Amino acid sequence: MVTFLHTETNGLLCAVAISKKASMTTPITTPEYMLLFRGMDWDRGLSPEEIQNVMSRWIAWFDRLTEQGKARAGQPLTDKGKVISGKKGQTVSDGPFAESKETVAGYILLQADNLDEAVAIAKECPGLDYGISVEVRLVDQQIGRGIGVGV
Amino acid sequence: VKKPRDKEISPPSGEISQLAEHLFRQEAGKLVSVLTGIFGIDRLQLAEDVVQEALIRALQTWPYYGIPKNPAAWITQTAKNLALDLIRREKLFRDKQPEIVASTEQWSADSFADDSPSFDTEIKDSRLRLMFACCHPLIAQEEQTALALKTLCGFSAAEIAKAFLTTEAAIAKRLTRARQKIRDLRIPFEIPSGSELSIRLNGVLQTLYLLFNEGYKASSGESLVKKDLCYEAIRLAVLLAEHSVANLPRIHALIALMLLNGARLPTRTDTEGNILRLKEQDRSQWDRTMIARGMFHLLQSAEGDEASDYHLQAGIAACHCTAKDYESTDWPKILSLYDRLVEFDDSPVIALNRAVAVANVHGPMAGIEAVEAIRHHGKLSSYYLLYAVLGELEAQLNHPQTAADHFRSSLRLTEIRSEQMFLSKRLKACEERTANRR
Repeated sequence: MVTFLHTETNGLLCAVAISKKASMTTPITTPEYMLLFRGMDWDRGLSPEEIQNVMSRWIAWFDRLTEQGKARAGQPLTDKGKVISGKKGQTVSDGPFAESKETVAGYILLQADNLDEAVAIAKECPGLDYGISVEVRLVDQQIGRGIGVGV
Repeated sequence: VKKPRDKEISPPSGEISQLAEHLFRQEAGKLVSVLTGIFGIDRLQLAEDVVQEALIRALQTWPYYGIPKNPAAWITQTAKNLALDLIRREKLFRDKQPEIVASTEQWSADSFADDSPSFDTEIKDSRLRLMFACCHPLIAQEEQTALALKTLCGFSAAEIAKAFLTTEAAIAKRLTRARQKIRDLRIPFEIPSGSELSIRLNGVLQTLYLLFNEGYKASSGESLVKKDLCYEAIRLAVLLAEHSVANLPRIHALIALMLLNGARLPTRTDTEGNILRLKEQDRSQWDRTMIARGMFHLLQSAEGDEASDYHLQAGIAACHCTAKDYESTDWPKILSLYDRLVEFDDSPVIALNRAVAVANVHGPMAGIEAVEAIRHHGKLSSYYLLYAVLGELEAQLNHPQTAADHFRSSLRLTEIRSEQMFLSKRLKACEERTANRR
């Protein structure tokens, strides 16, 4: 499955995320939401102990969502990439964003009953306390347009 | 791995348990040591940054892909790649670049994942060199402990600040000063040799002892960080003893004293954080494994004819740990150890502790006399424990009013809440007894 994302906030990013786990053949009855984790610049003051701690919590969180069948896919994204903009794509700049806190560091494709549930799940993200923000976007399965809300 | 807080849900799989407790902290200490060997001690900060970056990479990828089979190897490999990138990019390495690239590639080319013996030796050497550098006598004591915690134990400035009850900014300043001194004074990254080794080793042991003591001291809040200080001091001392140059009786004595005192840590306060005295502690909760390890090191410390003050302190701790209950404590033995200890070290604090042993052997009156003999020592007059001890002994002599006066003096001299609460409790008991008499 290929998901094509636009962010209106700056109109610059085109992230193409290819997910292996979600299958095209499964008929989708519940809506899907994309949780976008923004911020590559984790609080640099974190000690190794704290890094291990927050990571363990994140793994537990993702595992639980997977086990409940809610997380259908998820991957990290690196900050390596190019931004293409301008009318005919004549402007190519390095990196998705100038500011690392804006960069999408990863995503989870979520199956949730409604936006409220998706937002509730996003609010559990262990990275929120450490400078990560989560954007929740409805994946429109018909025409590829979404509505979104920030957490 | 800390227990998840209430609102967090525990993992359905056993995945978290795959990560050894304090794995990141320990890997960080190891890698900073090795990278410092590569970058040079004057670029200590650079080594710390690379390791930090490697751990952040783990944080960014493991949640999605799961924990790698060998987490330590993953971190090592990532740190190595980051280091190589940096060496190739940075101008400051240009003159020696091929040389350090070669040595970096080598340190993990031969399957570090399987703990190849040559890499293992290199880690041990590097770590020891870093210990000697951090504990160099030209660096102030308080800077030494902060730097050791930062580089060897991977503590953040915020965590160190919590442990030392100071601000993060103050710790950051200490760390900067220490790194600056290393650069400016050209403190070497090496294991000293010859006659210097023994002296410098004593400096390292002293720093580890203070590190432990800092964690052992009763204090309010942040008891978790405090406990970690004790465990880190023990861990570093054990690592030190594993190295052939440091495998000496006195280091085993130091390890023994830390383990035997550390074993009692969890019972020193009740669930509300109130201080419990030795006779009130639940001895069944003392850490048997630590006691056993402590006794093992105490045995090893007895080899040769060297006796240090660590030996005597370990002996005292062993007397407490091996006593079935408070009443059967071998106080005459403890007193004789203190008698020898005061010969080593004329610290009034040790003399005060000796007075407690005197009281237990010869009665409270003798104890008070022993305290009176050292009372006018300058440093002691503002030491809250002096009055706490006098208060205890006067209470035993059934002089509640005098005891209450001492507890009041003691209360005025401590700012630590748990100590204040303990002393208030003691004071109240004395006041009640005085009132009942009237």
